[in-house]
Amino acid sequence: MAADEPVIAVSDLTRRFGARAVLSSVTLEIPRGGVYGLVGANGAGKTTLIRHVLGLLRAEEGSVRVFGRDPVADPVGVLSRIGYLSEENDLPGWMRVDELMRYSRAFYPGWDDAYAGELRAMFALDPAAKIKTLSKGQQARAGLVIALAYRPELLVLDEPSSGLDPIVRRDILGAVLRTIADEGRTVLFSSHLLEEVEQVADHVTMIRQGKIVVSAPLKEVKDAHGGASLDAIFVERMGGV
Amino acid sequence: MRTPAAAIAWEFRQRHRWGLIGLLATILTLGGIKIVFLTNQAHLEMSDATFALLVPVPLAATFLYLLAVFTFGISGDLAARESMYPPRMLTLPVSTAALAGWPMLYGCVSMALLWFAMRIVAIFPPGVEVPRYWPALFAASLLAWTQALTWMPYPLRGMRIVISIVLLVSIDVVVFTALESKARESTMLLLLAPLVPLAYVTAFSAVNRARRGDVPDWRVAERFAPALTRSAARRDFRSAARAQLWFEWRQYGRSLPLLVAIVLPVGLSLLFLFREAAVIVVEIVVASLLLPSFMAIFVAATVAKSSSNASESYGITPFVATRPVEDRALVVAKWQAALLSTLAAWMIVTVAVPVALLWSDAAEPILKIARNVDDALGRPRAIILGLLILAGLVGSTWKQLVQGLYIAMSGRDWAVKGIVFATLVLVTFGFLALGWILDSRYRTALALNSIPWLMAAFVVLKLVLAMRVMQRGAARGLFTRKQLIFGALAWDACVLALYGVLALILPEILFRRYFLLLVAMLVVPFVRLAAAPLAVARNRHR
Repeated sequence: MAADEPVIAVSDLTRRFGARAVLSSVTLEIPRGGVYGLVGANGAGKTTLIRHVLGLLRAEEGSVRVFGRDPVADPVGVLSRIGYLSEENDLPGWMRVDELMRYSRAFYPGWDDAYAGELRAMFALDPAAKIKTLSKGQQARAGLVIALAYRPELLVLDEPSSGLDPIVRRDILGAVLRTIADEGRTVLFSSHLLEEVEQVADHVTMIRQGKIVVSAPLKEVKDAHGGASLDAIFVERMGGV
Repeated sequence: MRTPAAAIAWEFRQRHRWGLIGLLATILTLGGIKIVFLTNQAHLEMSDATFALLVPVPLAATFLYLLAVFTFGISGDLAARESMYPPRMLTLPVSTAALAGWPMLYGCVSMALLWFAMRIVAIFPPGVEVPRYWPALFAASLLAWTQALTWMPYPLRGMRIVISIVLLVSIDVVVFTALESKARESTMLLLLAPLVPLAYVTAFSAVNRARRGDVPDWRVAERFAPALTRSAARRDFRSAARAQLWFEWRQYGRSLPLLVAIVLPVGLSLLFLFREAAVIVVEIVVASLLLPSFMAIFVAATVAKSSSNASESYGITPFVATRPVEDRALVVAKWQAALLSTLAAWMIVTVAVPVALLWSDAAEPILKIARNVDDALGRPRAIILGLLILAGLVGSTWKQLVQGLYIAMSGRDWAVKGIVFATLVLVTFGFLALGWILDSRYRTALALNSIPWLMAAFVVLKLVLAMRVMQRGAARGLFTRKQLIFGALAWDACVLALYGVLALILPEILFRRYFLLLVAMLVVPFVRLAAAPLAVARNRHR
């Protein structure tokens, strides 16, 4: 993959579920480095777009390339470089935290034990605790530990705010995301908490009814709207939907 | 829908509308057959026995379907400790009595209606006095108890299956004993009447506990010796494949050995009671040898799932789907875990059966059979036959666990249910065809002569399907050329090995060599195994 090649290149992607078009001719390029916020109302198509990036959905029309590869044809080549935190709390409930870390470690050659331990301590997770006994927020923390511990080139967070408590979101997540971006890696995260996106994102993409309506650096978007808050811009561009 | 009762009824109707339409179509078809039969009786050659097959098979199929619908157990994990009552319903603002009562009432009424409909439309042999009411109550009782046992949380994984089998078989035994003693309709009704209210009380308690999240825990090893259960995960995994194998083993691998370990001692304890009755001793040993394959049928549903959540359907969870491994690696891990599970279950059987036979002093009938086989075939052939039977039983257990993966791992609920329905239809018509063939010597002779041709046709079909699956797998990048060649050669080797063993032990005068080769080609699995990675690919990248 050439250095100037985008990490994610989505071209003319259309996806229908039955008769309903969830994504409609979506074209998006995310270059290396930086934090990209994907915002939109519920059902706008954020998760569907993320699932295409992960190869969990096959492009019916158009194409998706991640690190220059097709994530469906080459799941190993793509997924081994992505850290992913799912919106659904689907970690296996029967695993203990330490088991989850050892299990996940086997899949990623770049797993950093010291960093993983550091993250676990920072997120105050008991290694002997079973996942199913953790609260929703603690499960999201555990998911975040295993998504970060191998220092992935691309970190994809699908609505992390829905699981993490405000302290983790504000103090820890923001700092972690900034560090990743500063290291030249890329973060794509979807959220409906616009204040949060405004705090950490360099670039914002607004999606409405399966179509991208805005995709530009955050500063550019704000400047174009006279320095208004992202919240106000969102309401203006998305019609409050 | 202004009442909880109407809402619950609507959900059953809406969710299972196609199945219920199918059920109605079955009843109407049987009614149509009856009308045709009544108007053309003189021209039909079917015997009473054949006509009777029009009743038990469709009745059993529709009974099982309603059982799955009203227990909410169609896509759940039967072996799970947690209640199988849908968690989302537990938070509804209705009383526990309503949550337990309405599904039970609807289920019991449906079962009763099913019986009355079958009694009207099905063709019963002349001279058979068909009971009026008690089968309806019997079916309702079985359903009510299955609901209660399905909704109950259990202290150990697999305990639901064991308790359900023991209790439901006990009800069957009581009812059939009463029938054997020519009990009257009123007696049967009196015998069965208390079962439904008792089941309701149990179901109420079960749903109540499920609502409180009360799951008793008897997992002593995990509580008192955590090191024992943690040891495997303490070591680092050598590879992603090892980690995935561990994941699959922990998820469901222990279910089959556990079930066998619970049920087998109960069965073998009967040896102490019946050691003098040679026939019963043989039956107990045969049943013990068939137990792992039988239990594997129940465990198989959980093998295909990527989550141990009791109410989870067949989709692959994002956690598993985003593992950076090839699609086929996910299937291979399941195959390997199923193999470990099979071997663990068989280790228990191969140790427990001889120990029980010797301890109970009931080994003589089995030794006598062994001596007879030894005399008839000679020592080497007898040993090979014994090993072949053991290998066949072990292979059959593993096959039970994995043969449905190609459907279940596609993640399409309709495909899973469709294949069950298609199998039931095939079994129904297969039985009918068999009865029709056996009614005539000419047709029987013709059928026997055409068995090799039929087998050859199935072999051709199998090979064509295998080629198609391999082509599609290769086109999707699931198999490399090398893997395809290796897979084909491995299958050839297994077929030839099985053929060689069969040819060695079975005399040519009874079994022609080409027949044995066809048997080997049909028995060694290929298409369903090769199709499983395709199913995973479809499910993982929808």
